[in-house]
Amino acid sequence: MTKMSDRLKIVFMLCVAFVTTGGQHFESKVAQLLQDETEDIKCFVELKDLTCFWEEEEERNDLQYTFTYSYENKNKMACVVSSLSLLASNKTVFFCKLPKTPFFTTLDVQVFRDGRMLYSRSLNAENYLFLDPPRNLTVLSSGKEGQLNVSWLPPLLKYMDDSMIYEVRYAVEGSNMGKVEVIKVSTMLVLLGLQSDTRYKVWVRVKPDGVAYKGYWSAWTEPVLGVTQPSDLDPLIMVLVLFIGLILCLLSMTVILSHHKFLLKKLWPDIPTPEHKFPGLFTVYKGDFKEWMSQNNSSMWGRSVQVYTEELPSPLEVLSEVSLTSHGTSQREERKPVEEDEEKESERSDSGLTDRWREPPQAHWLMEQLRALQENPQSLSQSLLVQSHDTYVTLNQNSQGDGEREVDDVFEETLPLQTLFTTTGTTSLSTSHSDLGSLQQSSGSGRLSSQSSFEYPNQTWPPKGPGYTYMAVADSGVSMDYSPMSSSRITELGRHRMYTNDYKNEIFLHKWPLFGEHNKSGSESCMGPVW
Amino acid sequence: MQTFTGLVSVLLVFLWLGGNLVSPLRPICDLRVLDHFVREARDSEVIMRGCRGGCGAMKSYFVPLTSVDFAVLEHMDVNGQAVEVQTGLSLLDQALNNAMKTVSNSPLANALDNNISNIHSLGQILHSLDLQARSTVLPDDSAPASTQTQEVSSLPELLQVQSSFLRGKVRLLLSAAPACQRQNS
Repeated sequence: MTKMSDRLKIVFMLCVAFVTTGGQHFESKVAQLLQDETEDIKCFVELKDLTCFWEEEEERNDLQYTFTYSYENKNKMACVVSSLSLLASNKTVFFCKLPKTPFFTTLDVQVFRDGRMLYSRSLNAENYLFLDPPRNLTVLSSGKEGQLNVSWLPPLLKYMDDSMIYEVRYAVEGSNMGKVEVIKVSTMLVLLGLQSDTRYKVWVRVKPDGVAYKGYWSAWTEPVLGVTQPSDLDPLIMVLVLFIGLILCLLSMTVILSHHKFLLKKLWPDIPTPEHKFPGLFTVYKGDFKEWMSQNNSSMWGRSVQVYTEELPSPLEVLSEVSLTSHGTSQREERKPVEEDEEKESERSDSGLTDRWREPPQAHWLMEQLRALQENPQSLSQSLLVQSHDTYVTLNQNSQGDGEREVDDVFEETLPLQTLFTTTGTTSLSTSHSDLGSLQQSSGSGRLSSQSSFEYPNQTWPPKGPGYTYMAVADSGVSMDYSPMSSSRITELGRHRMYTNDYKNEIFLHKWPLFGEHNKSGSESCMGPVW
Repeated sequence: MQTFTGLVSVLLVFLWLGGNLVSPLRPICDLRVLDHFVREARDSEVIMRGCRGGCGAMKSYFVPLTSVDFAVLEHMDVNGQAVEVQTGLSLLDQALNNAMKTVSNSPLANALDNNISNIHSLGQILHSLDLQARSTVLPDDSAPASTQTQEVSSLPELLQVQSSFLRGKVRLLLSAAPACQRQNS
């Protein structure tokens, strides 16, 4: 008898085991609840059957478990206990599956071991539903960009399909960042706001909604891949952008063409030429000023004189006088014409004067002059013929108020200047300058600009003494060294170029002889005309 | 004479209105109404658990059976279910009314009052579905059928039974109502 009962038990247990293991998810559910559930005896409902299990660490075959349950004050009923070995965690559980599980009533379950009660629990079966994951999860690309259609089948539970809540999880393939959408009852969902032309993974799980039925979240389904539609707006956007760009280009070209002259003037200004003031100089005489001068002498200077009458030539301060005749003739012989390196505006009509100065004079003669000046600073009556490499000024001895000029000692080329000065009636000034880069109109303060070779202060200076002519010479960028000069230095200066930009020749302050320092090699050092 | 005719006309108007009230209701198939009742029954249970004083005396109540066997349910016809539900609702109504007499805690009393009105509404819903049994009210002195009722000894148990009954039998009946099935199909 006992053998028969044992055999029956074994067969029954095998059958039960077969049935239970036929469910794919039973073992996984047991394993999950083993971790999550805190009760000693853990119960869940799978396919409308309540299963309660408990863990036993000791594996002893002689242990006999008895499982009883009762509800609604009815008699206790027994349930067959089976065992299950979990392969993953290497644990053994004992479980019992109620054959006819009553819902919506309080169940009292008890586990006895060897006659002694081990566990006891009261529960309502409808509150512990543990569903299988949804089946047939499909992810399809919808017709629109950035959308996916997700659909699945509900659990096979009659009377419960309207009490389900689903969770859809989706993430870009390969990414760990996923989003979750919750949906009630309905078994399809449209995912919105996705990236276009991207592969997405989708998972779904289910749980009772908690009103009529309660339970645990099911396991996630296996991920299903879906690809969103590629963006179809890009070509359109590109075409629009190109079109707009084309229109903008056309507009800008139209604007540029309509104002091209103005823009050209601003961007590529014409180099000003005094062509209009010197008719025929460039066209007829090919820039040969001398020729042009000789041709247009009378008319030109007449006009220039009229223009120049606006300016008052300033008197030159004579620092010392020397005999001019000997030097003058020698210089006359040795003089060579100097070409202008720059042209002037009409105001400076004597820009036609081109002179080139010769090599510096003997050094010791200059030293003597300096010494003489130092010894006798009062000898401003001396007019000093300053000869330098670049610039010097010859002074005409002229008495104050004497309107006449002695032009004999003056070089021929200074005639125009002298003429100018004569007409103005001021003290004459004949100057020759190595490079008459510019004759600058002086300011009222008498400050010389760095660009000028001459400065004509507007004021008339009172002469220091009778017969002295005052001359003020400004040179561009030349520093005045008022220290006694050595011969070597003078020669040095004659050779090298001393060019400092901070030279300010305050005419009122500095009444020094103008020698030595104005070293300008030809036209190089002369800066451009100051307009 | 004129007053008499006036009275008659007024009476006719009232009768006409009364007749309109008696006309069949539209079937209420939305289970969210029942879900609302279920939640309110659960709220009563929560209030009961937190009640401290004046929470009703220990008293025995006869309440309906709430257990549902799906296998049996599939073979049961709708009318049988309807009778079962109607009987149970009336039992619950009586029990709750008896319980309210012993409750002095005002939140609990309000919750119980709410449950009672919900049960009345459920009766109307069943009426709209043509599931109302002819005889719904059981006489108090008649012995309750043991197969149909059970006895509970406290108000918390009573509330638990009410909750289980609404979620189980009542809901299954409403979801299986033919009037609603015709609408869905």
